[in-house]
Amino acid sequence: MDYDDIEILFVEDSADDAILTIRALSKSGFSNKLHHVVDGAAALDYLYCRGIYSGRDQIQFPKLILLDLKMPKVSGIQVLETVKSDARLKSIPVVMLTSSNEGPDIEKCFELGANSYIVKPVDSDNFFNAIKEIGMYWMILSQPAH
Amino acid sequence: MKKTDADELSIANKEIAFQHQEKEDRAAELLIANKELAFQNTEKENRAAELIIANKELAYQNEEKEKRAQELIIANRELKNAEDDIRKLNEELEQKVIDRTAELEAVNKELGSFSYSVSHDLRAPIRAINGYTRILSEDYADKIDEEGNQILRSIISNSKKMGELIDDLLAFSKLGRKQVTLSEVLMSELVQSVRDELVFDEGDNIPVFDVQPLPSAKGDKSLIKQVWINLISNAIKYSRHKPSTKIEIGAYEEGKLAVYYVKDKGAGFDMQYYDKLFGVFQRLHSQEEFEGTGIGLAIVQKIVDRHKGTAWAESVLDEGSSFYFSLPKF
Repeated sequence: MDYDDIEILFVEDSADDAILTIRALSKSGFSNKLHHVVDGAAALDYLYCRGIYSGRDQIQFPKLILLDLKMPKVSGIQVLETVKSDARLKSIPVVMLTSSNEGPDIEKCFELGANSYIVKPVDSDNFFNAIKEIGMYWMILSQPAH
Repeated sequence: MKKTDADELSIANKEIAFQHQEKEDRAAELLIANKELAFQNTEKENRAAELIIANKELAYQNEEKEKRAQELIIANRELKNAEDDIRKLNEELEQKVIDRTAELEAVNKELGSFSYSVSHDLRAPIRAINGYTRILSEDYADKIDEEGNQILRSIISNSKKMGELIDDLLAFSKLGRKQVTLSEVLMSELVQSVRDELVFDEGDNIPVFDVQPLPSAKGDKSLIKQVWINLISNAIKYSRHKPSTKIEIGAYEEGKLAVYYVKDKGAGFDMQYYDKLFGVFQRLHSQEEFEGTGIGLAIVQKIVDRHKGTAWAESVLDEGSSFYFSLPKF
């Protein structure tokens, strides 16, 4: 698989949320260059061209990271922290996805430099619209920082 | 005998007689003095007897005082014991308060993480049910007959509803744990902003608002705002089926409290079910008539309670409702 031409890095451990999110993105026309990984460790492997991604071109970075908060091994917060404290990666927009608005997560994420924070809606219409708007805003409207 | 001798004798006799007289006088005086002495002696004896009695009395009193001192020592000791007991009880009580506070904090923390799990772990599967059913009804509609499609729509609306219930329950449980920060709340401004947020489209059923000047209250602005949002949006919702209708918002003062009210001329409710009105997830109207989860008034009451105020209501079915809440004046 060609890992270099990826535009969206999608980090999500829930298979159900992954299916629904990918479907919403593809229905909105943003699924072409999406790569899905199931935990934070794999996300960091991808970004740093380690493990199965060791053959990847170091200069190619995704345009957007969709990052689930609660994941096994390396959590979304840890991935966010790593990305935003790395000079080469910190300009990549990171949109946090989470199942709830409970807990101290929101402030923490913004402190660490998250670009957006989305509580996944239960209702599929709202879920679809939220994902579509993320794609619209970050893939089309927003200008890269570099 | 010579005359001289006789004279001398006579003189001597006289002298003797005089001396004798003197002695007799002296004896009489001595007698009187003796009597006086005897009297004084008697007096002294009487006095001595009195002193003995007085001494006895003193001795008795001393004894009594010693007894009393003994008793006082005992009483003091008892008092000291009682004081020690009280100090010990106080210390135990303080320890109990510390323990109980720690327990409560632990329970609160547990509740917090429970809420987190509820919101996180329950929302996810419901989102999946809702999402997959939507996929079925969108992508496989032609392979499923009309009844099947109707069932899919029911699953979608029910799972959506369950999501709303979870969110409401969380919002409600959060209220109990939220810190209440008191400051002056400018009610007229607050009500104005809430009204502007709620009435954004000028539909046919938007009621006329009659808002009177409102005194400031002492409260947590974000929480009090939630009270107004819930009461005013309820007033709008339950006025929906009335063609042209009015919502009146005002206040009056009652001692140290300000009482605020929202009166509508909407659907109202039967006072017979008043005890259910402020209950969690209690509803007095069907979902078809007026949508809602039944958390709004429970939230109102909880917030007002946390401000040491009271929330209550009056209503006549089909004629309208009046909701009141009191808060400490600023």
